[in-house]
Amino acid sequence: MFGFVVFLLSETVIFLSFFVGYIVFKTSATDWLPPGVEGLEVRSPAIATAILVSSSFVITIAERYLHRENLWGFRSFWLLTMVMGSTFLYAQAMEWLSLPFGFTAGTFGGTFYLLTGFHGLHVLAGIVMQGVMLGRSFIPNNYAGGEHGVASTSLFWHFVDVIWIVLFALIYLWQ
Amino acid sequence: MTRRTLFTLIALASGLALVSYWIGQQSYSWMPVQASAEAILVDNLFSFMVAIASFIVLGVTGTLLYSVLFQRASRYDISDGPALEGNLKLEIVWTAIPLVLVVWIGTYSYQTYNRMSILGSGGSLHVGMPTAMANEIGASPEASAPIEVRSRQWAWEFYYPDRDVTSTELHLPVNQRAQLQLTSEDVLHGFYVPAFRVKQDIIPGRAIAFEFTPIREGRYRLRDSEYSGTYFATNQTHVVVESLKSYQQWLAAAAAQPLTPAENVAYQEFKAAIEKPMSLGWSRIVPAAAPLANYSSSESDSHE
Amino acid sequence: MSDATLTALPKTEQPHPGAPDNWKRFFTFSTDHKVIGIQYIVTAFFFFLIGGLLAMVMRGELITPAADLVDRTVYNGLFTMHGTIMLFMWTFPFLNGLANYLVPLMIGARDMAFPKLNAVAFWMVPVFGVILMASFLVPGGPSQSGWWAYPPVSLQNPTGNLINGQLLWLVAVALSGISSILGAVNIVTTIVRMRALGLGWFRMPVFVWAVMSAQIIQLFGLPALTAGAVMLLFDLAVGTSFFNPAGGGDPVLYQHFFWFYSHPAVYVIILPIFGVFSEVFPVHARKPLFGYPFVAVSSLVITGLSGVVWVHHMFASGTPDWMRMLFMFSTMLISVPTGVKVFAWVATVWGGKIQLTTPMLFALGGLVMFLFAGVTGIMLASAPFDIHVNNTYFVVGHFHYVIYGAAVMGAYAAIYHWFPKMTGHMYYEGLGKLHFALTFIGANLNFFPMHPLGLQGMPRRVASYDPEFAFWNVIASIGGFILGLSTLPFILNILSSWVQGKKAPNNPWRAIGLEWLVSSPPPHENFAEIPVVVSGPYGYGSNEPLVELAESKAAE
Repeated sequence: MFGFVVFLLSETVIFLSFFVGYIVFKTSATDWLPPGVEGLEVRSPAIATAILVSSSFVITIAERYLHRENLWGFRSFWLLTMVMGSTFLYAQAMEWLSLPFGFTAGTFGGTFYLLTGFHGLHVLAGIVMQGVMLGRSFIPNNYAGGEHGVASTSLFWHFVDVIWIVLFALIYLWQ
Repeated sequence: MTRRTLFTLIALASGLALVSYWIGQQSYSWMPVQASAEAILVDNLFSFMVAIASFIVLGVTGTLLYSVLFQRASRYDISDGPALEGNLKLEIVWTAIPLVLVVWIGTYSYQTYNRMSILGSGGSLHVGMPTAMANEIGASPEASAPIEVRSRQWAWEFYYPDRDVTSTELHLPVNQRAQLQLTSEDVLHGFYVPAFRVKQDIIPGRAIAFEFTPIREGRYRLRDSEYSGTYFATNQTHVVVESLKSYQQWLAAAAAQPLTPAENVAYQEFKAAIEKPMSLGWSRIVPAAAPLANYSSSESDSHE
Repeated sequence: MSDATLTALPKTEQPHPGAPDNWKRFFTFSTDHKVIGIQYIVTAFFFFLIGGLLAMVMRGELITPAADLVDRTVYNGLFTMHGTIMLFMWTFPFLNGLANYLVPLMIGARDMAFPKLNAVAFWMVPVFGVILMASFLVPGGPSQSGWWAYPPVSLQNPTGNLINGQLLWLVAVALSGISSILGAVNIVTTIVRMRALGLGWFRMPVFVWAVMSAQIIQLFGLPALTAGAVMLLFDLAVGTSFFNPAGGGDPVLYQHFFWFYSHPAVYVIILPIFGVFSEVFPVHARKPLFGYPFVAVSSLVITGLSGVVWVHHMFASGTPDWMRMLFMFSTMLISVPTGVKVFAWVATVWGGKIQLTTPMLFALGGLVMFLFAGVTGIMLASAPFDIHVNNTYFVVGHFHYVIYGAAVMGAYAAIYHWFPKMTGHMYYEGLGKLHFALTFIGANLNFFPMHPLGLQGMPRRVASYDPEFAFWNVIASIGGFILGLSTLPFILNILSSWVQGKKAPNNPWRAIGLEWLVSSPPPHENFAEIPVVVSGPYGYGSNEPLVELAESKAAE
């Protein structure tokens, strides 16, 4: 767990670097938005954000059930987290498809896709990790003595959420 | 500490200080000629730092050398040295000394930098003394548009907007603040004249205001200082510092000349390379064609 | 003192990872930190030789003013690959190997915290090594943009191919970054979590302190470089314009990303070498490390400062005045904790019973060269002077005094010092001293002339130069060839003594330290019983036991 925390701290710096890049580009660009683009729509990303952020609470509930050794409670809330994460990814994919600009559209297009894409990869990695943990719960007695993998996955999920909140504020709210 | 060791230490330190001061004075001869006001400032700072550095290097190396020569264990001696684990006073002293030196060198450097103020007013913030240098030595008598320094892979072009003259050699009047505007057409380049001790990267998409004051007539090397690809090493030309009168004559004569293709080493080498039947190199960046200029210098001209 | 504890450790029948009779295990996915350590060191040294050969071709080119030995494009590729190989394939893997080998032994652990991750991190090294070397074979040749890969030059792709030298370079550097981050997580966790009983922070050897400080830099610095490299990769491969001014990008931002890591990277290299100095001097001068707590903590101070100095590489870039002045002061501050270390080593050596063994010679030579690098470093921190010598040979001379003079000499000191422990054999002193003499003379002949050249205004990275620079360049080239030669007695020494050298006792230097309590080479899992540490790491002359003796433990 200590090692994983160290790793996440290090990973945070990559995101911070991208954020700094975004802020520098945005504050120094002369033509920030690509021609013909007015701005980003906020409403549906906000809904996706709400789903992702609430999944952090759901995963905590799942962990509590595991702590009380209620495996089915753990599995159902764990699965719910996965579904919520997938919904977020789906919404993200739909948004990408609907946008009128590509990643070559100046520094705005580049940083937008870089930030959301890099974060999306993390969401995907989180869902895969959750899938592995869910599978492991079916191995008899596997989680009897507590399982660090679950705690790490959960921590990772909170990390992905916090990053998204910052990202959402930077890209969608600060326009 | 006995009185005798104290005297020895003081004697050694003063001797070392004298030698270091002497080395510091020698450092002026390690530099190119001082052809700008900035060069004098930089060389003084360098001399000061060389003296301090010599004191540190000679002192520490001398101590180590003494140990190595006179404090060796004899062949079959397997005993340990004194179990001396530290000395708080000594450690505080040798933390404080570098700190003091750093503040000293830093402050001196800060003052020097401010007096140079080579970055023009376009976009730079001056803290402390504003362009003191310009007031000290020959502020430009008549306001004229800055000379445009245009860099590209791999040629230098100097455009004098007042007379609509393009040259591949930079001419500047002596004892006047030179005002330049640096631009690049492709990649990063660096404007560097060792005899002036000034340097500035040139960034495509930006126009950087740059200034300094040449104080010595002569012909000096101007080099590209930021690595710019295949023919980077050839991207050199000359700066000619001359009296105001000959500068104006040169400008007038150049203005009367038509634009002709200048000599360009990169372009010539590139043509020779692609004409070879067997290429022994890796992929190369195609240089821009030789620049068109009213006046052009030759690579073979001598410089100081 | 330590002899008593040696007998207390039971004889073990397990294989000894360093012994030459089981060399095959070095080609397996071993999770033993000692095997991985030696794997790292040997792989790194192989690349050191390649990087050195490239440098010798460069020195051959520079022996005359004209670009005549190799084509300019080849020269540009050579210096790019020389820098990249020496940093990413030699120094980092070598130091990771040294840390891997020594840290668990020094802190009384059986292995690293994550042995499998450790093996994965190592096996990435040959993988990205092959990718980097493959760039010599792709059409158009390897990257020619220098190891900084500054855009827009690094984005110019004359071949037009998607797979080009620059792309492979970026992939290799990114993989190297991932490998280093994994290694750093592992090493930091090991040091924080797996120290033997009684081994408090201020009983840790300075090498362990230094390694920890260095790896923390990897953790906060490398991600920034990775971020920059990813953005550059996208610019190059798919046409985004983060750093391409033609599309509105900012090439100077890349420089910030790059130097935010790549300046601290110098401390990643030099801190473990400081650790090596701090281990070698007390042993071979038979005195405790002078001011141990100051030396230990100064490493962490350097780590802290290293995060706020990077702009001194950009004093002549597109940076405003205030930034230049701010970073000038912060950079100069680094000399304070560094000075504390240098003075402490001098005081350690002073008045000792010095034995000029090969590791001691290399450590002393390294210290003297580091001192020189240090004072030129302070000069470079001074912005007005730096503006004159920035991107000239003065800088090249300065950092080669750091990276060759201090780091490579320190690396050799470490190899000789711990060679008996790693292999169970003694090296030959005569060859070792010959190696030292050639290295010290060669390094100074090679790198000193670069300072006057830089002061005179010779830019770095040039394949040709004005004739007035010829004199010093000839001397530098001669030094370069001597350096190349100097590796021969070393290789001869290591190979022959590894196979047939005199058997090494457990503690040939009568050194204090947990690693010297176990057999040479140490058994699998290092310690039959984890020792309990009862005193500090440098008790020379005070006759205190380092670990709790087996008898006294039994009596409790």
